[in-house]
Amino acid sequence: MTRTTRNPVTARSRLSPNVLITLVVLVVAALVFGGVLLTQRGDDDVTPDSLRGPDANTVLDAGDEAVTIVEFLDYQCPACAGYYSGITRQLEEDYAGRITFVVRNFPLQAHPLARQAAAAAEAAALQGRFAEMYRALYDNFTGWALAPGGQSVSDDTGRAAALFDDYARTAGLDVERFRRDITSDEVRSRIEADLAAGREAGVTGTPTIFVDGTRFEPAGSSYADVAAELRSLLDDRLNP
Amino acid sequence: MTFVDGRHPTRRLGLTYLLGGTLGLVAAVALTLEKLATLADPDHVPSCSLNPVISCGTVMASPQASAFGFPNPLLGIAGFAVVSTVGVVLLAGARLPRWFQWGLQAGTTFGAGFVHWLIGASLYDIHALCPYCLAVWIAVVPLFVLTTVETLRRHDRTRRAAAALARVDVALVVAWYVVIAALVLQAFWDYWITLVH
Repeated sequence: MTRTTRNPVTARSRLSPNVLITLVVLVVAALVFGGVLLTQRGDDDVTPDSLRGPDANTVLDAGDEAVTIVEFLDYQCPACAGYYSGITRQLEEDYAGRITFVVRNFPLQAHPLARQAAAAAEAAALQGRFAEMYRALYDNFTGWALAPGGQSVSDDTGRAAALFDDYARTAGLDVERFRRDITSDEVRSRIEADLAAGREAGVTGTPTIFVDGTRFEPAGSSYADVAAELRSLLDDRLNP
Repeated sequence: MTFVDGRHPTRRLGLTYLLGGTLGLVAAVALTLEKLATLADPDHVPSCSLNPVISCGTVMASPQASAFGFPNPLLGIAGFAVVSTVGVVLLAGARLPRWFQWGLQAGTTFGAGFVHWLIGASLYDIHALCPYCLAVWIAVVPLFVLTTVETLRRHDRTRRAAAALARVDVALVVAWYVVIAALVLQAFWDYWITLVH
């Protein structure tokens, strides 16, 4: 006669549906989350051409052969505004004619007006006034990017749109066309292309700067320190 | 007096209530104390405001943090104290009447609904996370799931469905956590990715 009772050892080792499904869910989740995170990690070595992108928006243009800075920025990111007022605004004056300074969009989700501002800059670029809009956005940062009181970023799209119109008018743009361009597919696809190029280059936050294709990773903790580091790097490149 | 063994559904429910209720209560008390400290000193930086993303201060200052005109953690202190007490009562071996079970079902359903509304607000409106709130999110899911299974078990027509659900209740809770984690990951993608780079 065969034994019909189950072996207690094997019986106990069977996983209950609860444990089994839990394990499967956790393993699948870990694989998916981990996989997505890892594939989004970029490489630090990127070609200067792909960084620069086709018909790049430049603040300074000394030609394709010149020492080239590419900055990925988010117009509503306070640190980017700090980089502008503490580092790159002066750089523009001091290195004009000697370097090419390319600006690419990397609007972050955390900033509700970042995309709108990027679209304003791109729409101005379509009328050949990119640098003017870029400076206007940063010179007036507290006006459109911060909530009243200045403690947090603003999400007031209406106020931003009105101010962007003003900047466009001051820059001598055709405001009607500027408004149309802001919502155009062309502008949107340019922003998407910049974002894709940034991710490919391993950009994860803003501001991220590349000098001749090499990521600039400052050690300093103040804008003055970072500015000095960037200047010495540029000087080395300009006078090898 | 009857002995209640470790796998008995009532004991399982009692333990969940005690642990979930205590976790929620501790978080609600912590949030209340931070709120009081902020009221006393507007410059107070809460212990859980670590950076722009993980920031109780931002969350506590939002209109959703006082959904009923007073700070939400006050509701939590009352609600979770009841939940942990019921947990002790269940562990003591009490059999609760059906109408009481319906009360628990109403309470945990409201709690789960409210918390998920707050999750939505935190991820898509306030754009910040608060660790004490996360503890409440974690507490509410098993409370709701196990209470629902127990309510179903109390009625003849749904007893079989309850038995089937009871076999996968932990998996259900874990899957629920995974969905919330995925939403958190997606909503703050720009932030998380800076941590792994």
